[in-house]
Amino acid sequence: MRRLTSSQALVFLLVLLVALLFFMFPVVWMFLTSFKSGAEYFSYPPVFWPKSFSLRNYFNAMAFPPDGRGGLQGLRDSLAIAAGSTLASVVIGSLAAYSLSRFKTGGENLSFWILSTRMFPPVAAALPLFLIFKQLRLLDNHLSLVIANTIFNLPFVIWLLKGFFDELPVEMEEAALIEGCGRLKAFRLIALPLVAPGLVATSLFCFIFSWNEFMFALLLTRRNVRTLTIIVPSLVGGHEILWGEIAAIGTLAIIPGVLLSLLLQRFLVRGLSLGAVKG
Amino acid sequence: MSENRLLLRLRRRRVPILFVLPAVLTLLAITVFPLLYELRLAFMSWELTTSEPARFVALRNFGAILFQDSRFWSSLRVTLTLLLFGVAAELVLGTGLALLLNRLRRPRTLLVSLFLIPVMIAPVVAGFQFRMIYHDQFGPLNYLIELATGGRWRGFAWIADPKIALFAIMLTDIWQWTPFLMLIILAGLQSISLELYEAAEVDGATAGQTFRRVTLPLLLPVIIIGILIRAMDSFKLFDIIYLVTGGGPGNITETISFYTYLQGFKFFSLGYTAAMAFLQLIVITVIAQFFVNFQKRQAGRA
Repeated sequence: MRRLTSSQALVFLLVLLVALLFFMFPVVWMFLTSFKSGAEYFSYPPVFWPKSFSLRNYFNAMAFPPDGRGGLQGLRDSLAIAAGSTLASVVIGSLAAYSLSRFKTGGENLSFWILSTRMFPPVAAALPLFLIFKQLRLLDNHLSLVIANTIFNLPFVIWLLKGFFDELPVEMEEAALIEGCGRLKAFRLIALPLVAPGLVATSLFCFIFSWNEFMFALLLTRRNVRTLTIIVPSLVGGHEILWGEIAAIGTLAIIPGVLLSLLLQRFLVRGLSLGAVKG
Repeated sequence: MSENRLLLRLRRRRVPILFVLPAVLTLLAITVFPLLYELRLAFMSWELTTSEPARFVALRNFGAILFQDSRFWSSLRVTLTLLLFGVAAELVLGTGLALLLNRLRRPRTLLVSLFLIPVMIAPVVAGFQFRMIYHDQFGPLNYLIELATGGRWRGFAWIADPKIALFAIMLTDIWQWTPFLMLIILAGLQSISLELYEAAEVDGATAGQTFRRVTLPLLLPVIIIGILIRAMDSFKLFDIIYLVTGGGPGNITETISFYTYLQGFKFFSLGYTAAMAFLQLIVITVIAQFFVNFQKRQAGRA
């Protein structure tokens, strides 16, 4: 490829920065709004930079009506559900991924069946899951959301980790097996530690997917469980929208995603494309 | 004898099967079982709003959806409009950005990370951000329009105007997902060998020719995967609709997912909802089949 002249490079960079402005603006706007006072966000022309960066919106949001622990409860529930479903999907998924990768269990068909469950539209699964959880008296319970999120994370985990196991040479495990190690031990002590980076990346993706999940949280919960993604729209619905407080909750809700995109660069391509594109 | 051999084979396959069993059971229990349950429901009439018991109605739900429900067809049209134009715009913008980023040297890693933030945040939060931006009185977008036109025009009622609302939804979706296509196309670009470009240069190809004859053909598999993944996601669009317009004004921005949600969880027509869910499943299965076949072909080639 021809090297760019420095003026060409400058033009390219400028175009990219303008595009970046477009993609960053909504996030920055929400972040700044979370520090504004009511007079500042209900004003025309709009105030871009808040006069003082007060944390009042954050404190208010933590103790939101109706029961006085809105944001705090949201943080707790989102965290519990995301952590629970990440743990479940990674434990179950890594075993299955190992088996698919090492023994070609079920051949290609099983692998692709597992991948295809990922594409299931959540709204089609919502009604039967709702009725089943109702029967089991699990509605409005953390467990129902952990299970629902695990369904949608499991194929992702298996498919992604299978890719990592595929790249691992089998010699070390074989040596361990000859030494008299069982399969489970070889898996736990040798294969798993060797795919540790992949395991971490997969877990973080899982965490984000569950953290950002909305539809099941909306349909399977009432009052006991309220994730952050439920609290945001429930506050937007009212007559007088408390932009500042919602922006504060929204800002808290995007922290994991922002951190992930900054830290996980190396795995983003593979993670986001279900491993279909190698980064 | 043959029974013995089967046992022996099972024993040899015990470890692989045991390893994969928890996942398969989980997926069966929570996808196939609900599906069968739903299939039964689809042939019944079960209205929670009346006290009538559920009863078998054969194919009547499907008939009503396909031949009498204009709202179903309109939601399907909205979904496909968003899918076609939204994904097309994301593809064009994403390819453009990826081509620019690919030519850049050092600040690339940081730029890519910043571009990807929209992909990583919850769609409801993205929807909320755009609610603020689209606000007709206090929103920054209308203010920008007013500045740009020198105060002659004060912009749109973005989410209340029936002519604009669908575009407002599409813009939110484009904002959120363009970086995803950018990312995987960039990965595709980086896997193209530089020697090919050198060869094209030696042969005296222009930049346009190089793009059409070298870059595009090699990029095609990645682009197809990207389009399929986006098509499947876009077909399920729900969160942004719920937050930005709630399907309104009227039902101009009502997608099929949103309409199914209303039927099931607002109007409580369980049988009807199940039938509608099944129709969607057919469409998504067709798209997914393309994806899986394509994946198999790629895997076979590698």
